[in-house]
Amino acid sequence: MESHRNAHLPIGLRYGSHPYDGEFPGRLIIVEGIDGSGKSTQIDLLGKWLISLGYVTVFTEWNSSPIVKRTTKRGKAERLLTPMSFSLIHAADFANRVFTQIVPALKAGTVVLADRYVYTAFARDSARGVNRDWLRRLYSFAIRPSLALYFKVPLEQSIQRIITGRSDLGFYESGQDVKPTSSRKKAFRQFQGAILEEYASLAEEFGLVTIDATLPIHTQQEMVRELVEPLLAGVMRTPGNSVTEALIRSGLSGRYLQEADSRRSSELVPADMT
Amino acid sequence: MSTLKFYGHTPLDLGKAAMPGHLIVIEGTDGVGRSTQIALLKEWLETQGRAVMDTGFRRSELSGSGIDRAKRGHTLDHFTLNLFYATDFWDRMEKGIVPALQSGMVVLADRYIYSIIARARVRGVPAHWLDDMLEFAIVPHQVFYLDIDVDHLLPRVLAYRELDHWESGEDFLRESDRYASFVKYQGALLQEFHNLSDQYEFQMIDARQGVWDVFDRLRLGIGDAIERGS
Repeated sequence: MESHRNAHLPIGLRYGSHPYDGEFPGRLIIVEGIDGSGKSTQIDLLGKWLISLGYVTVFTEWNSSPIVKRTTKRGKAERLLTPMSFSLIHAADFANRVFTQIVPALKAGTVVLADRYVYTAFARDSARGVNRDWLRRLYSFAIRPSLALYFKVPLEQSIQRIITGRSDLGFYESGQDVKPTSSRKKAFRQFQGAILEEYASLAEEFGLVTIDATLPIHTQQEMVRELVEPLLAGVMRTPGNSVTEALIRSGLSGRYLQEADSRRSSELVPADMT
Repeated sequence: MSTLKFYGHTPLDLGKAAMPGHLIVIEGTDGVGRSTQIALLKEWLETQGRAVMDTGFRRSELSGSGIDRAKRGHTLDHFTLNLFYATDFWDRMEKGIVPALQSGMVVLADRYIYSIIARARVRGVPAHWLDDMLEFAIVPHQVFYLDIDVDHLLPRVLAYRELDHWESGEDFLRESDRYASFVKYQGALLQEFHNLSDQYEFQMIDARQGVWDVFDRLRLGIGDAIERGS
């Protein structure tokens, strides 16, 4: 346990008065990489393994705060966002998830898996011309991860994966807000290339553990699990209490349970957020 | 011709273009008389032959509805809310204040980053982080702070309307009634404004005086600021 002391100190160590100084019983594992690096697949597989071992696992994704997401979406659709507002609104989204999702889950002792973290903002926003030093200070409230994995993939390979996977490239993910003249595909290639360069220096600056994302998926996953395993010592586990298994054993279909589930999930979402 | 100065780093390439306009900020708590003074100043400046843009603390096109939604009952942590405010502020600065300054107008800002900072500091958000976050703000040619104490503020607000939930700090204070909450919150807020006055070089104006006395002081100060900035 000693090796994990201060594991969750905020990134901006220059502030003594961060509201969450100190150590949490949970673990925070994050994955980074450009689009098409396969990081989401890897964190998904990691999550399935952790759940199978009985660890309580919480997923959090970039740009997914229910309160902020709508503004970001509208800003993108109507192209109201410029590099600075793009940066600030994503920081708002991240802050909301840190304080409502990540910190409570870490305090409760769960394993938090984050698909993209502050390094995404550092890489993308710097590629858009936003001041690097300011970005680090802006995100200083972030919690330092227990493990940060960077899935490194050559530009051509990631582009191949994305282009075969989808027909449309977004205006902002192609960086066309900063380079409006070039064609979407060309802009995308240029912008992703710039982000890749940012990641290379971020990996060094923040000690991200680099994984060769050109390796077979299961080889990468083995490496990931090997890195994660030593971090799990002393982390809370729950006894297997799968409802599905219990139902099968009792010969029940779980009809009313389903009704209750759907009622509960509709109640959880406030009316104006749907 | 002058270019823009910023509190921290120069965001993007905003430092390059010539900015012949003037940015004048009127700060102060709710009910102190900012909007009255701005209405008078706008008329006066236009009479003097200056083009004026007044910009308030109202919501921008980008994040206005998000802030309203966030304030409608969803508990939002202070970091998120202030990042929302910062987004909103940037949006208005980039799309409103900068073009107006570029075209040589006098921009009269009804509040500025200092209101965001003071309100957040009262609620316990780290001061360094707030200064850092908002360091992209243009340094105004002059900031006028309309200075008042709670005792003089209360009758002005009450003569005009009832005490409001937010300006009484009821989102985070637990007082027995709204009056107690207002007194405690506004007291703390006014103290924070005073704490900011040196760092951000406020020109203090005693707002306990009558409307015309305050207006006279502002006219003098703005005349000087425009003179200096040209």
